[in-house]
Amino acid sequence: MNDDAPQTLSTSAHLADEPQGRPYWRSLREYADSPELREQIASEFPAYDPDELLGLSRRQFMKLAGASMALAGLTLTGCRRWPEQEVLPHNARPEGSLPGVPQDYASMIQRGGVARGVFVTSFDGRPIHVAGSPLHPDSGDAARYAAGELHSGAADAYTLASILEMYDPDRSRSVLRFNAGDGNAQQRDLKTFAKTFAAGGSRVAVLSEARSGPAADAARAAFAKAFPEGTWTTWEPLHRDAEVQGAIDAFGQAVRAQYDLSKAMVVASFDADLLTEHPAALRHARDWAKLRKSCDAGTMSRVYAISAAFTPTSSNADVHLQTRPSDTAAMLDALAQAVGVPGFSASVALKDDQQSFVDRLAKDLTKHHGASIVAVGPSQPAGVHTLAWAINQHLGNVGSTIALTAEPSGDEPRCVEALTQLVQSMKGGQVDRLLILGGNPVFDAPVDLNFKDALNNVALCAHLGLYQNETSLACHWHINEAHPLEAWGDGHAWDGTVCLQQPIILPLFNGVSAIELLATLAHDDLTAGRDLVRRAWSNLLGANFSETHWNQALHDGLIANSAAATVRPSVKGARPTGVSSPNTDIQIVFRRDPKVYDGRHANNGWLQELPEPITKVTWDNPAWISISDALHLGVENGDVIRIAIEGHELDVAVFIVPGQAPGAIVLTLGGGRTVAGRVGNNVGFNAYRIRLASGQSAHAAAPTATVTKTAQHHALATTEVHHLINTQQLDANWIGKRDGTDATARMALDARLGQPGGEGILVKQASFADYQNNPDFATDGAHGDVMLQLYDAPLAAEFKARADELKAQHPDAVADGWEPAKQFNDKHAWGMTIDMTACTGCSACIVACQSENNIPIVGKDQVMMSREMQWLRIDSYYRGDPTATTSDKLDAVHMPVACVHCENAPCEQVCPVAATVHDTEGLNTMVYNRCIGTRYCSNNCPYKVRRFNYFDYHAKLETDSFRSTGKPGGIANKPWLNIPDQQQGQVIDQIRRMMFNPDVTVRMRGVMEKCTYCTQRIQRAKITAKAAWAKAKTAGTDADYPYVEDGAVVTACQSACPTEAITFGNLNDPKSAVAQTIRGKRSYKLLEELNSRPRTKHMGLVRNYPEA
Amino acid sequence: MNTPTETTPSSSKFVFPRWANYLLPLVLLGGLGAGMYVPVLVGLGLNPNTLNKNYRPKQPVPYSHSLHVGQLGLDCTYCHTTVTETGFAAIPPVETCIACHNPEKEGSGVKKDSPKLAALHAAYRSGKPVKWVKVHDLADYAYFNHSAHVTKGVGCSTCHGRVDRMGEEGVHQHANLSMGWCIDCHRAPEKNLRPPSEVTNMAYTPLDDPEVIAANITNLKEAQLLVGRRVKAEYNVHNAAYMQSCSTCHR
Repeated sequence: MNDDAPQTLSTSAHLADEPQGRPYWRSLREYADSPELREQIASEFPAYDPDELLGLSRRQFMKLAGASMALAGLTLTGCRRWPEQEVLPHNARPEGSLPGVPQDYASMIQRGGVARGVFVTSFDGRPIHVAGSPLHPDSGDAARYAAGELHSGAADAYTLASILEMYDPDRSRSVLRFNAGDGNAQQRDLKTFAKTFAAGGSRVAVLSEARSGPAADAARAAFAKAFPEGTWTTWEPLHRDAEVQGAIDAFGQAVRAQYDLSKAMVVASFDADLLTEHPAALRHARDWAKLRKSCDAGTMSRVYAISAAFTPTSSNADVHLQTRPSDTAAMLDALAQAVGVPGFSASVALKDDQQSFVDRLAKDLTKHHGASIVAVGPSQPAGVHTLAWAINQHLGNVGSTIALTAEPSGDEPRCVEALTQLVQSMKGGQVDRLLILGGNPVFDAPVDLNFKDALNNVALCAHLGLYQNETSLACHWHINEAHPLEAWGDGHAWDGTVCLQQPIILPLFNGVSAIELLATLAHDDLTAGRDLVRRAWSNLLGANFSETHWNQALHDGLIANSAAATVRPSVKGARPTGVSSPNTDIQIVFRRDPKVYDGRHANNGWLQELPEPITKVTWDNPAWISISDALHLGVENGDVIRIAIEGHELDVAVFIVPGQAPGAIVLTLGGGRTVAGRVGNNVGFNAYRIRLASGQSAHAAAPTATVTKTAQHHALATTEVHHLINTQQLDANWIGKRDGTDATARMALDARLGQPGGEGILVKQASFADYQNNPDFATDGAHGDVMLQLYDAPLAAEFKARADELKAQHPDAVADGWEPAKQFNDKHAWGMTIDMTACTGCSACIVACQSENNIPIVGKDQVMMSREMQWLRIDSYYRGDPTATTSDKLDAVHMPVACVHCENAPCEQVCPVAATVHDTEGLNTMVYNRCIGTRYCSNNCPYKVRRFNYFDYHAKLETDSFRSTGKPGGIANKPWLNIPDQQQGQVIDQIRRMMFNPDVTVRMRGVMEKCTYCTQRIQRAKITAKAAWAKAKTAGTDADYPYVEDGAVVTACQSACPTEAITFGNLNDPKSAVAQTIRGKRSYKLLEELNSRPRTKHMGLVRNYPEA
Repeated sequence: MNTPTETTPSSSKFVFPRWANYLLPLVLLGGLGAGMYVPVLVGLGLNPNTLNKNYRPKQPVPYSHSLHVGQLGLDCTYCHTTVTETGFAAIPPVETCIACHNPEKEGSGVKKDSPKLAALHAAYRSGKPVKWVKVHDLADYAYFNHSAHVTKGVGCSTCHGRVDRMGEEGVHQHANLSMGWCIDCHRAPEKNLRPPSEVTNMAYTPLDDPEVIAANITNLKEAQLLVGRRVKAEYNVHNAAYMQSCSTCHR
């Protein structure tokens, strides 16, 4: 099977036919029930060609076999002790440090000027894992943490993956001076640079990415003092210009909205991705989930969302409408009219579906006075924001669900305006020295500003950055920056909380932070990061600054209760948005990339290989296009189109997305980097090439775009149909062949995915009203039962009674005196629940798992062969008509699936070497050192959660390993350098090696692996609890033998989840959280009728649809 | 039958010489030997007893446990402080040694001029740690935790042998540390358990246990089983099924 197959399906043609699809489907190809896809699903290892091996000639085989024998003989690999290892103890062990016991340090990482709180796990001095801070207002909740209700902090994918960035061998390693002519560089040191910089002309300009925090502000003030003629410009490609301007227009002052979704019974999102894109998304998601999970208690919020194409927010909305972005303004006008904003009048004509959306929304908003939120996304023009404020004020939300704080950047010019000014003065020769602090303006500045050309007019420009990027190469100097995990610093959270950033490790490549560089250039008397931060803090806190406070802040990573004070301005009047619908056929929507942000994370393999939450595309950022536009243009997935805006052109592959608004094309920013590193070079398409200063976001004023089809094709690696839980092989292929009837197969398939119009048994979904009428919707009609028990009932009281009852009813099931093996009755029985009602599909859990469990990336070609290694995947199912754009006709569901740890595990029964077996606490363990790689287990796994190491993936770091070669199989299909794989120890990069979690085995080629329930965390918690107990007992205290306390084991995915959708713990502890959720009415076992008895239960999805 | 070949001695080169009669058995024997050679070599070569047992690398400081423990009577946990709390029984930091062996002139260091302590003193002065060579080196996929064993009554000497008798030549590996050896004890821990208060006692014998004395048992094995079973029950040492679960040692 060639790897192009998935892309060359005539998807559109199939769709044009009468669809015969299921109510739930994961991709358009599945919906169209294409024969090619059926074939792909039917084969367990797609794109694996056994004939390829048979094609090896006898001579080649002898050569390989001979070489390996000779090597084995030469080195006597097996017959000797392994290499000597040294143990280097501390000279003076720091107080409280225990070698081999990981410690968490609180810190923060800034992105876009907003500080995210992190807890960094450090193992003997090496940071190995980043998790969210439970004390931080966005990622956690200090009060619940203190009360023991919350055990960990959440984080987004970027933050979790920052550890890989820190250990990236491609990071810039020294100060460089670039030759003017040839672009070659020489190594210099910071002192030389400082001297050169000081000798330049007096007109200094600083172009910085957004940075917040007392020390950053102080550094800026000190720099301004040292260079009185200097200017300071802040540029973020993902700026929130319109949002800030809209607030200024509404209130007369710059304010920032602090949404409280935990009080909002109605949330209306106008092109705003509150749950994943917003800087405070983690907090929003946590609060949102509170009023979603409360469906069990009888209340539930309702979310309305308008967007051009699905976002995690709109795919989770109860009512969503996909429409062209310019229509959003008109709909808001209509809404203002409908809810009766005083003094507002506008006449708008809406389409039927838009009108019905507005009507329903207006009705709900009026009903919930003061308990709703109308949010507008940053891509909408200022006028829309202004009107939204008027609506919010009229609805009584301001001061209730929306608190206002001052916008820190409010008195500065907006990003685009400021950058335009800077470029003008550069072109006019008014800048002698330009210092670029981070960022990548050559790559991401509005294309019509010609930023790169403007650089030529500056006598001395220098760039500070983690990597040498497009901008460094265009500058004269490059200074290597210290990673946030390596340097001191501070910042403000979205709500203004003052956060502290502490280094967890010394800078790997002797980089400096921005504040240190500024201090050096401004000839400050202090230049060390810690001193700078302490000085700024003592100035900020005045008399309140003490060593105790500092130590507390260092411990917490922030100053508690230091959020910005709320302000209470009021909106002056209300006027229509003033956005008229443009007469263009196609509108371009620019979005943040869920994987590489604005392009800065391009060299991060974890993020590049992360399936995009909606399209599941890895290693690319195609243009999203609607089905009708695709039919109109005659393009299929991967076909390249050319988008032209005012003479700027972009060739980009398309990906057809269900439910997308016709006439809107979505482009994510940040792809197509050319100077990113070995991983990120030339991955994806550079949407900045058509992003003009006047068209930063899609709205009426945006310039006209024309779209044409080109003859090229670009293979896309999407995982949307990988590891499908399906019974299509039960179809004609299997049962059909066995007993000659297709009917059996059809029945089985109908049962799983549902007959057209009916419910299947994979995804359990109900409306809130139905759920109240029938709380058992998730388990109705389930076939499994506890007749066959391998282990004694895990949930001691209730389940045991039920099991005993059943045993009495069915004595024959307990054949010949067979009794559940008593020895498998441990104090701990681990289990998990995954709440689909709370899952936003944000995919942070996948990255957290990858980081915790040393999971490699495999590269694009391997992904195309379904060989991605992530243990956890998020299946996104759609229900309904893919061409529809309203929630009445199309719904999306996110379902995270990892190994469910079946008690009666099908994988165990087929392993010839017992490499996958159960332990006594119910974990389906995978013993790597026993595995011989038959892959039978994966074949027999109904959930498709097992991953096989086809190669030594950790050892591959050559650029080509991650690229698509265009050839079937690609270069990555060949062993590394075309010789048999090396031992990992010699090949894995020395720096990358430091990142591995030492508690988890690094797997070799030829080994199967899968989710372990983070067994290393379980073991650590158990050993700690038991050793403490035994010590106390020896000392004479008599305590009960301990359970591991609830919350002492938090799996990596659970920790990352902002909505707490994942609950993990001990089922035998009746007080544990998971013991409650697993007995919840909504909990059901995936594929229960197989009697695999999964320990992980999913919780059915409830949506609060409005009454018709 | 009167052919020249039979009668002419000069043509005897076409006749196998007498010694050729031994050739076949010799070849067979040689073949058999060669066939045996590989399995025997591999078998013996891979045997943990060959590879690991009595492994004694040269250490940078000729530290004598026999002097410090055997003669001076230092307890194991005086230096290996972390053994009851962490997975590692960490090698003590230089400052622990310096507490007695301070090299400074005004200090009252023991043996402050001894060349044997040169590496230690160099580490103390430079701040760069002593590079000890790891003696007990498990495979990377096996996760052993000292605290789990020591707090529940597995004695130091059970695995490490009589460290108090290992002198300046360095510590050697007492057990072969093979998986079979681990599992032996995980199947029947009572064969090795002792009261946790006795774990660091190098000369421990179950025959001194009050219960054993009271029961008047003189057989070492019986005494051990009596003590072992008691400790196992008291400290909730898990059953064999739990202890042989893969996840107990492999992550």
